[in-house]
Amino acid sequence: MSEVAIPPTLKIQAPPAELEREPLVLNERPPGWISDRITSVVEGKAPRWWWIGLSISVPLMVMLFCVLAYLISTGVGIYGNNQPIMWGWPIVNFVWWIGIGHAGTLISAILFLLRQKWRTAVNRAAEAMTIFAVMCAGIFPLIHIGRAWLGWWLFPIPNANSIWPQFRSPLMWDVFAVSTYFTVSLLFWYVGLVPDLAVMRDRSKTKIRKFLYGLFALGWTGSNRHWSNYEKAYLILAGLSTPLVLSVHSIVSLDFAVSQLPGWHTTIFPPYFVAGAVFSGFGMVLTLLIPLRRLCNLEEVITVRHIELMCKVTLAVGSIVGYAYGMEVFIAWYSGSPYEKFAFWNRAFGPYWWGYWTMIICNVVVPQFFWSKKVRTNMLVVWVLSIFVNIGMWFERFEIVITSLSREFLPSNWGYFIPTIWDILTFLGTFGLFFTLFLLFLRFLPMIAISEVKGVTPQADPHHPLGGAKPGGHH
Amino acid sequence: MSSHSNPSTAATPLDLSKWRSLPTRLMLVGGILSLIGLLVPSYREQFSFSWLVSFMFFLSLCLGGWFMVLVHHLFDASWSVPIRRVTENLACQVRWMAVLFVPIALFAPRMYPWMELSANHTPDHALHAKGALLNIPTFYLASIFCFAVWWYYTTKLRFWSLEQDRTGSAECTNRMRMLAYFGVFAFAITLTLGVILWMKSLQHQWFSTMYGVYYFAGSVWLTIATVYVITLVLKRQGPLREVVQETQFYFLGSLLFAFTVFYAYIHFSQYFIIWNANIPEETFWYVLREKGSWWQIGLLIVFGHFFLPFLTLLRIDVKLSWLMIPLGVWAWLMHYVDLQFNIMPILHPDGFVLHWLDIGSFAFMAGFMARNFMKDFAAYPAYPQKDPRFAESMGVYVAPASKTPAAKVAGGAR
Repeated sequence: MSEVAIPPTLKIQAPPAELEREPLVLNERPPGWISDRITSVVEGKAPRWWWIGLSISVPLMVMLFCVLAYLISTGVGIYGNNQPIMWGWPIVNFVWWIGIGHAGTLISAILFLLRQKWRTAVNRAAEAMTIFAVMCAGIFPLIHIGRAWLGWWLFPIPNANSIWPQFRSPLMWDVFAVSTYFTVSLLFWYVGLVPDLAVMRDRSKTKIRKFLYGLFALGWTGSNRHWSNYEKAYLILAGLSTPLVLSVHSIVSLDFAVSQLPGWHTTIFPPYFVAGAVFSGFGMVLTLLIPLRRLCNLEEVITVRHIELMCKVTLAVGSIVGYAYGMEVFIAWYSGSPYEKFAFWNRAFGPYWWGYWTMIICNVVVPQFFWSKKVRTNMLVVWVLSIFVNIGMWFERFEIVITSLSREFLPSNWGYFIPTIWDILTFLGTFGLFFTLFLLFLRFLPMIAISEVKGVTPQADPHHPLGGAKPGGHH
Repeated sequence: MSSHSNPSTAATPLDLSKWRSLPTRLMLVGGILSLIGLLVPSYREQFSFSWLVSFMFFLSLCLGGWFMVLVHHLFDASWSVPIRRVTENLACQVRWMAVLFVPIALFAPRMYPWMELSANHTPDHALHAKGALLNIPTFYLASIFCFAVWWYYTTKLRFWSLEQDRTGSAECTNRMRMLAYFGVFAFAITLTLGVILWMKSLQHQWFSTMYGVYYFAGSVWLTIATVYVITLVLKRQGPLREVVQETQFYFLGSLLFAFTVFYAYIHFSQYFIIWNANIPEETFWYVLREKGSWWQIGLLIVFGHFFLPFLTLLRIDVKLSWLMIPLGVWAWLMHYVDLQFNIMPILHPDGFVLHWLDIGSFAFMAGFMARNFMKDFAAYPAYPQKDPRFAESMGVYVAPASKTPAAKVAGGAR
């Protein structure tokens, strides 16, 4: 911010007590305390809850690998996908996980460009969540192609077996969108980690830790030059990530929207999918961070204000999703197309009515509770509501994929999808993979950006009584 | 940053006395031209369409202003406090839009083919399917409903804002927030309803779930560009000299950039999905707009509405430079062209025609709205005087009221 000379004629008052903002780090904690508290999660003894979490997630992850081995050795016939529902749970789960992978980079990139300081306490964990969610998502299309070992045919490798990918297929666009998004998100996450890895290196007490943290800290010394280069790199990556956040789910939406299938072909799909993705991403961030702030004693860094702000974002994007649902139904009627009208009637009152109304309750009704400050500041209630958001967004994808395919133009071609045990186990297994990676992240990397949080403490403001500037002095 | 970044170094006010009468002159010239169009039967059809384009253009500014006020309250923003009176006054002009709607209400049966079909009971599947909405009583009742909602919310929001100037009470902030909570739903519903009735139903067979968002994106884009220029002028001329900082211009510039991309994204998505699915019930809308010089107008929208502002605004320093003024003027031109592209192919299917009635109706409304805006702006304080986020927006640290009963400015600037 530029220097501001306040004219003496201007009377500036403090806000009334009830409208005061809570600081982003509570209790005027000094920088040393922030470093100690955040690194204690990594440096201390692994707590019991961590071991309990790992003992659940690792078996689930192992189960996933076993199911995948069985799938690859047997074929996709083990899944419930069959005519007319050739896209079953795998695509539902793919879109769900990809959606979850939207909050991290949104928080890191877009909120960074918008100079939203509150992002600093939550961006690191959210980015990690993004990366792991995209990894989980990537499994599904890969196994769904049938011969997973030929997945590399999706890439345009010149002259390989004289095969050239079908670029007119939106599924091919997905390959490029998701892989680019994953690469840039990973880079962005890593660049943000570098100063904190140096902190970890300097605090390490064992040689192996010092070596490994030092290796990945890339010789960071915290010099002005390092900070200058770091800030530039971070800004460029934020700029690159922003369109990627929007493009990935837009392209995923085109998987459906470019078709002529009733319920899929609708022009609002790209922004509706992006809003839905951000909605589900924030839902998952809330689900993860509310217990973690308590378990890791980080309630003074990830404050109630942070949770409130995330609730507001969830409410905003949830309402956009609600608008999109409304527009879909309205235009299905307005279009005069009997197929479109039937598609939405079938969603609400057909054999999958329970999925539709679960979706509506979880995605449209539930977020409206976040209008209330009482709800937003009650951590248990927010946590429960965030789980509803996760459930609702899964059902949204289920409704879009399954209901439209199950009853399309020809009644003689109608069907009903029933998932097999392998569908269910694969989906459950991805939770194992996700949580294993997330728990390992918590133990080996600082879950909050230490250097960034220090910069948003109240006393980082030089005019704060605890700041560096003297009253009336030079600033 | 240019000279407007710091009040102490701000340039001297411009002599705008010559321009003071411009709105009246625009009103007079535009009014005469529009009156000719209204009275001469052979021009009446052209007049009604030209009027509709200009009406939708200025409605964009009012609704865009309202949206900026709503977002300010919903997100408890601080940066937009000094410019909030500009957006509040802009939003409040919507009451005059109700007056300007009268010619559209009168000539609607000539403009909307479905009204004639409905009156003659001509069989038409599309109309039959949409009959519950597209019928003459609903058209007028829904229009009245939209204006009533807009008038209520914009007036109430400004009322509590002015009340806070007097009392400084937190209650006013809470009231405005409450209005914003319900207002944002009212905004989404009424904007969509208005744009479907007044623009989309010109070709009642066509449908697109994106259309409301499309008009919204263009409207907010135009409003941000306009607010930037108005704020810059008001800072230079004095009313906002003390309170508007570089931050406000940076954020307005960034938002303009964001909405440049958002509009392009929305328009591209709508076009691409319709083009790729290639269903005749949808493609005919774009087919008409690819005929004659409408094709070139489409390209102008692609390059002028997106690429030019996008490439210009990519640099951070441009958001704070004099380039924002021509860009603001360009935004007006592009949004007008966009509305022509949406509305006029019905009347001129062979290509774009810039009629003198287009200029007349636009000039009249520009003069009329500018006069009313200036009148409103002069009647009330130029910025919210006692907003609780005022200190934050100015970048000064003020000791919290809860800690020091006699709150005082504790330091200079950040």
